[in-house]
Amino acid sequence: MSTPRFPVSTAVVGLGVRQYKRGAAPMSEHGVLVRAIVDACEDAGLDPADIDGFVTYGDDKNEPVRLMTDLGTKELCWSTQVFGGGGGGIAAAFGAAAAAIISGQAKTVAVFRALVQDNSGRLSAAVMAHHLTDYIVGVGLTAPAVECAMRAQRMLEHHGVPRQCMEDMVRASYYHGARNPKAVGYGKELDVEAYRSSRVIAEPFHLFDCSRENDGAGVAILTSAERARDLKQKPVYLKGVAQGAGKGWGDLLQNDEHYASAGFASVARRLWEQTGLTPADIDVVQVYENFSAQGIASLIDHGFCTYENVAEVVRYENLIAPTGKLPVNTGGGNLAQGFIHGIGTAIEAVEQLRGTSANPVPGARYSLLAGGPGVPTVSSAVFSVDTE
Amino acid sequence: MEIALKGLGNDANYWQALGEGRLSLPKCAGCKRWCWPAPFRCSDCGSWDFDWQDVEMAGEVYAWTRVRHPFGGAEALGLPYVVASIALPAANGIRLFGLLEPGDDAAIGLKVAGKVRTNRAFERDVLAISWRPVA
Repeated sequence: MSTPRFPVSTAVVGLGVRQYKRGAAPMSEHGVLVRAIVDACEDAGLDPADIDGFVTYGDDKNEPVRLMTDLGTKELCWSTQVFGGGGGGIAAAFGAAAAAIISGQAKTVAVFRALVQDNSGRLSAAVMAHHLTDYIVGVGLTAPAVECAMRAQRMLEHHGVPRQCMEDMVRASYYHGARNPKAVGYGKELDVEAYRSSRVIAEPFHLFDCSRENDGAGVAILTSAERARDLKQKPVYLKGVAQGAGKGWGDLLQNDEHYASAGFASVARRLWEQTGLTPADIDVVQVYENFSAQGIASLIDHGFCTYENVAEVVRYENLIAPTGKLPVNTGGGNLAQGFIHGIGTAIEAVEQLRGTSANPVPGARYSLLAGGPGVPTVSSAVFSVDTE
Repeated sequence: MEIALKGLGNDANYWQALGEGRLSLPKCAGCKRWCWPAPFRCSDCGSWDFDWQDVEMAGEVYAWTRVRHPFGGAEALGLPYVVASIALPAANGIRLFGLLEPGDDAAIGLKVAGKVRTNRAFERDVLAISWRPVA
């Protein structure tokens, strides 16, 4: 194995989420974030003043040092952001937190993402502003939907992935969201005809193929496995995590080798090597789906299916918890649970192993999180119920 | 909204040529490899020297999308408009962004020819390549 085994010695011990309709947060982004961090501390049984590290991603604007006066932070030891304007840093943020804890640079680290439109504007515009140049705006490539639609079109037209798979991914997310009281889509079934007849955003994407945007903040607190055993919640261990881009993928103005993929080839390989697991070992998957097709590409990249058998695997019934063989986005995902830049998918990945998901996968031992498909740097993580 | 100018990397010559109605792309002086995005250093052979050569604006559609939502910054293009990635056989398959005009017959593999046009985006004039289908 070319990638060493990841030391399974950190755990998620606290979760906090405050989610609102876009533009409807009752306080500023900073205030919402403090709320979510304190929620996560209460969930864990920790004093907010003892959080000594912070990690975020996606050009989050909330510099951790500014949280100290609200939290009473005794000592700030780790303050890190993962590069990249999209959601590709979401799993990598857990890796940065674990790196701090394992190396002794911090003891208790909050992974967070906060987003309130009145403070940070539309997320889609912010993500794209990370990339905009004359070369890109000259052709009207001014939104992530356009960039991802081009790759999706090639996935369908050249690689022959059936359009039905996109519809099934969306339906699965809405099925789970409709049954999750914490989801924006709670209680709302997605009518297939409504999906098919919804307006086209950028071909092949209809409205329901695109993620939402929500105001809010989400937080997951990590600490050492040893310390986790003395806290309130059942620890959920970080089994492995990988981030980055392989040669032939990256910020290449779409000159990527595996153009229609989600960019996970090298990340997935390292994740499997460092965990000793294979796709067959994974019980439940949360894929950050900025757009439906990129969620499918993420599953292919990780080896859950191929271009040849995608229609057998990415099938509505197969994606539903608890009966499907590959339950995906069991909280509702970015499409139906809500979208605070994907932090909800990370929260659900942990909740599945705590046993607190609204759509539980019974006996789930390994849960996969894949972040930011199609962007220049992506990341994935596996969580586990034990340290074995 | 603050918008970064020009492109990614070492591409000043690309913009100068485009302003003169030409397409110019960098070829590594060491290993003769076509490079895009334009690098400062050839990652294959380590050369720092590039020959910028004129390339015929002829290629084929590698990927495309027909945009129907009024995204900010694209107002001047009207709706719908078709963004495409165009592969250039004369430059070893390097792919450039462009507008497919008209875009009614958009399909992967469609043969196209290009010319330089100006687009208005974020209250500035920006150069781009407009590609049209050829028989």
